[in-house]
Amino acid sequence: MSVPLSIALVFRRRALATFGMCWLLIVGIAAIGAPLLAPFDPLEFDPFVRLSDPGWPHLFGTDHFGRDSLSRAIYGARMAILIGSGSVLIALVAGGLIGMLSAYFVRLGHLLMRIVDVLMAFPALLLALVLMTLLERSVLNTVIVIGIVYATTTARIVFGMTLKLKRDVFVDAAICSGARHASVLFRHILPNLVSPMLVQASFIFAFAQLQAAALDFLGLGLPPEVPSWGNMLSEERIYVTRAPWLLIFPGALIILSVFSMNLVGDALRDNIDPRFKNDIAGV
Amino acid sequence: MLNYALNRVLTLVPTLLAASFLVFMFIHLIPGDPASILLGDTATPEEVAELSRELGLDEPLWTQYVLWLGNVLQGDLGTSVFFREPVLSVIAGGAETSILLATMTMFWIVVFGVPIGIISATRHGSWVDQATSGGAMLFASVPTFWLGLYLILIFSVGLGWFPSSGFPSLADEGGVSNLRYLVLPSLTLAAPNAALIIRLIRASMLDVSREDHVRTARAKGLHPVRVAIKHVFRNALIAVSAAFGFTFAALVSEAVVTETVFSLPGIGRLVVQSILRRDYPVIQGVILIIVVFYMAINLLVDLAYASLDPRVSLK
Repeated sequence: MSVPLSIALVFRRRALATFGMCWLLIVGIAAIGAPLLAPFDPLEFDPFVRLSDPGWPHLFGTDHFGRDSLSRAIYGARMAILIGSGSVLIALVAGGLIGMLSAYFVRLGHLLMRIVDVLMAFPALLLALVLMTLLERSVLNTVIVIGIVYATTTARIVFGMTLKLKRDVFVDAAICSGARHASVLFRHILPNLVSPMLVQASFIFAFAQLQAAALDFLGLGLPPEVPSWGNMLSEERIYVTRAPWLLIFPGALIILSVFSMNLVGDALRDNIDPRFKNDIAGV
Repeated sequence: MLNYALNRVLTLVPTLLAASFLVFMFIHLIPGDPASILLGDTATPEEVAELSRELGLDEPLWTQYVLWLGNVLQGDLGTSVFFREPVLSVIAGGAETSILLATMTMFWIVVFGVPIGIISATRHGSWVDQATSGGAMLFASVPTFWLGLYLILIFSVGLGWFPSSGFPSLADEGGVSNLRYLVLPSLTLAAPNAALIIRLIRASMLDVSREDHVRTARAKGLHPVRVAIKHVFRNALIAVSAAFGFTFAALVSEAVVTETVFSLPGIGRLVVQSILRRDYPVIQGVILIIVVFYMAINLLVDLAYASLDPRVSLK
């Protein structure tokens, strides 16, 4: 059965996961169409409407600079998608390669997996903090740092799964029929890892949102002027008693998106090779 | 078992050395001269030259590392630029708060996580299960600082039940009742972690309940509660107890955010403030201590895991 078809079957019987998928679709549309959808400029200050209540024309109210919250939230969807997919890409490509190569070439694996062990000796948030201290605050650096943090866990997971696959007969058969290493790795082993890695990707996407929001909150993530949901929370938190809605909207957006991604990951996990089910570290 | 334990400890040594080397390199990766970074902006050129000589900055990198490691093993982690105090005593000042916070958080995780997880698994498929495991996933999706801010808004500002920030030592006036300062922070920190434990208990119990010995227990007419607790939960506990250990180890660094929200004088907030103050010796010291602590707890978890489940050490 093809991967898209089997995914479609998973969602047919799960209302919540379908809801999650729909919400992510909305976030995606908001991200792409932000300049068209946002009623105001997300960066424009308007000192006359500081901290105004939600209402017309500022549906989500305005922040302490008088910027329109709804427009910032819509542009924030861009950051959410960018950070999520960027860190997923780095984590899967780097972690996936390290894990596969380490499991396949045993000697190389001794070296590479020790390096992964050393990085995993640092708790995730601490590793991100330390790396951000060394780097400048920028969108790219945030994505890279979060990507590296999750590349370590991904490497270990892929390592375990590749070891299991390596013992399978089809791998022996490929080697016996004279396939080269690259062909065994990428044409025979990799296709079996696609669905579990898809599950892993959805959990990384979800965790990356929370990590990025935490970094923003600590003042070590995205530059403060960038409209992201984490920055909106971080900047307006001192006004929480005067303007509680300023924290409710971006907070709800983060929660909904992370929750949706977790639901999707959870649904996809039920569909993968049962041997790999316990390898994936999700919710 | 003894062999396994020795093996685990021995494989840990190179990892620990490599990790400590990375921590050592931290000061060297920051742009600028390490000696002036360690002394801060106010240092005189004489002081910088003096420290350069002490650190052996004109020696090869590995000699510097050995010198540094020697100092660390003697408990000398350098001097804080901000406090003008030894780094070790600065960190020790935050230890009480962090340890109490982590302990209290673990208490909530056990109190809420274990029973809810068991109920969710035993009522598998019912609305109770769907509500609790869906709810747990929702809680795992909440940014901790956001939850913390709203707990402050509701329970401190609104109802006035708990203080919103700070933590006086238990040795100060108030004694044990000062723990009330930690109620909201520990609940904040516990929420996502308890959620993960609930999901894990549920998943492991469902795995175990498909095994033959459980069917036997049911078939011979044991009370369902007895089966759930003695036959299923006890076996699931092996995986779950490991998760408790890992969670506890991770709490120390996860507390960074919570301690910042509640302005607690703990090690986590010390890291963040030191980053903002460019107090690099303290950052380096805290990272080193957290990494050693994290690895030690993980080692203990592995050993406990192996003694609970003899199959592990035979592999």
